Amino acid sequence: MKEKTSIIGKSLPLLDGFEKVTGRLKYAGDVPAMPRMHHAKVLRSPYAHAKVVSIDVSKAEALRGVSAVITHMDDITGRKKTCNSPWHDFSFNFRGPMISQEVCYVGDEVAVVSAVDEDVAKEAISLIEVEYEELPAIFDMEESIKPGAPAVRPWGPNALDPSVFSWGDIEQGFGEADYIIENRVTMGNQQHAPLDRNACIANWEGDKVALWTSTQALFWIRDAVTEFFELSPNNVRVHSTPTGGSFGLWWGNNFMFLAVAIARKAKRPVRLVLTRDEVMTTVKRREKPLIDAKIGFKKDGTMVSQSYRHLMDNGAYGNKFDPYQSVADIYTTKHGRVEFIGVATNLLPAGCMRGVGDLTLAYAMEQTIDMAAEKINMDPVEFRLKNHWQSGDICHTSQEVLFAKLLFNKEPEVELTSSGLAECISKGAEKIGWKDKWKGWGKPSSVDGTKLRGVGMGISTHISGLAFFGFNGITLKVNPDGTMVLTTGIGRMGQGGDTTQAMVAAEVMGVELEDINVVDGDTDVVGHTMVTFGSNGMHMVSRATKAAAEHAKEQLLEFAGRELEANPEDLDIKNRRVYVKGSEEIGIELKDLMSKPIYEYLSAPEVIGSASQGVEFHKAGKMMMADFAEVEIDTRTAQMKVIQFVAYHDSGTVVNPAVCENQVAGGYYQSMGLCTTENLVFDEDTGAILNPNFMDYKIMGPLDMPDPEIYFEEVYDEDGPFGAKGIGEGVTCAVPIAISSAVYNALGVRLDPPMTPAKILEALKSKAK
Amino acid sequence: MIQIYLNVNGEECPANVKPHWSLAVVLREQIGLTGTKTGCEMGTCGSCTVLVDGKPIFSCLRMAVDVQDCDIQTIEGIETDDVLHPLQQTFIDDHGMQCGFCTPGMIVAAKALLDKNSDPSEQEVREAIGGHLCRCGTYVRIVRAIMNAAEVMRSKS
Repeated sequence: MKEKTSIIGKSLPLLDGFEKVTGRLKYAGDVPAMPRMHHAKVLRSPYAHAKVVSIDVSKAEALRGVSAVITHMDDITGRKKTCNSPWHDFSFNFRGPMISQEVCYVGDEVAVVSAVDEDVAKEAISLIEVEYEELPAIFDMEESIKPGAPAVRPWGPNALDPSVFSWGDIEQGFGEADYIIENRVTMGNQQHAPLDRNACIANWEGDKVALWTSTQALFWIRDAVTEFFELSPNNVRVHSTPTGGSFGLWWGNNFMFLAVAIARKAKRPVRLVLTRDEVMTTVKRREKPLIDAKIGFKKDGTMVSQSYRHLMDNGAYGNKFDPYQSVADIYTTKHGRVEFIGVATNLLPAGCMRGVGDLTLAYAMEQTIDMAAEKINMDPVEFRLKNHWQSGDICHTSQEVLFAKLLFNKEPEVELTSSGLAECISKGAEKIGWKDKWKGWGKPSSVDGTKLRGVGMGISTHISGLAFFGFNGITLKVNPDGTMVLTTGIGRMGQGGDTTQAMVAAEVMGVELEDINVVDGDTDVVGHTMVTFGSNGMHMVSRATKAAAEHAKEQLLEFAGRELEANPEDLDIKNRRVYVKGSEEIGIELKDLMSKPIYEYLSAPEVIGSASQGVEFHKAGKMMMADFAEVEIDTRTAQMKVIQFVAYHDSGTVVNPAVCENQVAGGYYQSMGLCTTENLVFDEDTGAILNPNFMDYKIMGPLDMPDPEIYFEEVYDEDGPFGAKGIGEGVTCAVPIAISSAVYNALGVRLDPPMTPAKILEALKSKAK
Repeated sequence: MIQIYLNVNGEECPANVKPHWSLAVVLREQIGLTGTKTGCEMGTCGSCTVLVDGKPIFSCLRMAVDVQDCDIQTIEGIETDDVLHPLQQTFIDDHGMQCGFCTPGMIVAAKALLDKNSDPSEQEVREAIGGHLCRCGTYVRIVRAIMNAAEVMRSKS
């Protein structure tokens, strides 16, 4: 049940706000230069698929100021393991060699140079002579999975084994249906496009390596470096700085490995900073989906069966076989089947981006569900209210089920903890004035001259972390003045994770937020913490944070009990003071308690609370959301703009409302980009990306779209600390369908993202015929 | 290499530069002021904005050798005597940031606006930061922070 709180639920300022507004916060590119540090540049493949037949680096090596050059032939581990030996990222976002002799996309790494400055490194790059033998390249997923298709890459098949989830009897289900709708959906290529250009500094001291980089995946980087270079974790120290936005981009990335490798050969610290072009063409993009959806339902709108086949374009190095998520469960049907297949192409590697899996699959599901509702002429709000899932329902498609099968050959059931979906749908509909604006399928809500307006809506869900992300080891140390130090490996990428974890600790400890100093981003200092993704921070990591604080509190109350001659169970802490429950005038300030010597020890106490715990997976807390949009299309200019956008979210207890509102607004803006102007354009002949910059790949600016209206349905989640669930990723997931559905109702034509003026013009022309 | 002197935040800063080095690069790599961020290095994101003689410019597009006689103000020079500028305080109070990477550029651009227009409309604020991107999509609270800072500054003057 909801407890009374004094910190949780307040829009307290970010702990690192001062550093951010003064320019003091150091991202990886801001880390000061080290003595003897050199700068690296990368030679990249101009071909989408080719073999490096010969490479001559002698002129580059001879250039004054160059300290090292590495190619696929270099043995940088001293164990007959060259740069051409594959490594893998634990997230399945990368698998392959750090420098492959067989280059597999335009931009693939061919050689790395370190030199006294970037200008010299660039000149050296231009002196490297490479002879390539071109190989056939594949840019299309369906071409790639055809039998007999040429291999995209030498270290794995073009199509990974399918991940299949099924329940009930799918054939029986479709047999029972009065209607069946089939639909195929795809969308453009979105890139994370953070403003920051990442950097990695690596430095070897003997067989110990330290690296500094912006990341949300502190321990995965340590583990990948440990594994590839065959080192003990004691010899690998990763310092993670906050990211200048990540959205899934900055995990274990190949460029970090390149820095580690060349620093070893150069025998000095080396810094590799990516250019804007490199950020957008050589790291990662969102997986492009190709989804076949099929939904069976009764005349009254009851869904009976659903199946999806979701191809994910992994590009050249992506290795994902399952997008982690479980959105297909958002509609409870007796029968279902979902199949994910990761497909390789000779394009920029693809991997997770904010809302991975749930954004793409929700889009396909929701559009097909719109078509089903249209078939029986039912209001989309009504259709969803009739079929959505509820707390206690089974999560058939949770990746935890897949991992239980893979690791233990068991098929457990995972149960949903809570759902505010019904409230989000009905209250959101009220906020946008759905009853007045909804005029029926394919019908504008209003027409004013050349301006057509339409409304649309959609729902989605997303995980609040997954158990197999690992244990969380958190400590909370109490200083002599009653302030505290929280150590955590939580990633800092703008989601305020350090602040909200500290809020949990402050709430338990009865102190103010500013009393907590968060120490993060150092694998030698902090306990293993789940890689910060999948919105796990508030629902999963903070269980350990809360437990560590409770452990510290227990010790504090023990010491206070001696001092106050009271039973610790009768004590509590608030306003930085321990007091006797029922007799609040009796108590002691934390600073006095912590600085006062205890007779037996002739010393003041030291209190360190700690907790290291995994998360049991049998119950899953998931965020829920319903988004509503009204758009306007000008038939003269084919321009589309949003008139009103309502986002109604259930993330359980809202720990910091300002942080959560910012997250929802950010998800809206990013998905509005996906819906309109964000699309990496690949050259059809070469596979090269033609728009790797903010001029040609346009993200939303402050003048582009109206701000969203944001509401929270605070359903208390019994499994989440203080009732909280996750929020960061799911905020993107229901936006595209709400927009696309509104466009359909304005125009009478279904368009998939990006919904460009060119597509709208085409739709207007086809309608006029 | 050319020896130059730049007047940054009221201090004369010597720097050894190549002629093609931008002001942004020299501020960050030579003078050590990394509060000025470089997101695109081609004038499309706004994060490197500094004031040159009071006017906001993209420091990635200006050569360092070209601003030797100018008064340059960066985010590090916005606070006075360790007291935050009202913009910095309202950005903290109103959560006008998420990852914080665009924040220095936003604050510098907003200062240029408020220095000449103490009572801007919301549209004027949005236009003043129109060339600035925030990938975290924090615009609603950035605009609110700037409007609130304007109010604080009006009440003080």
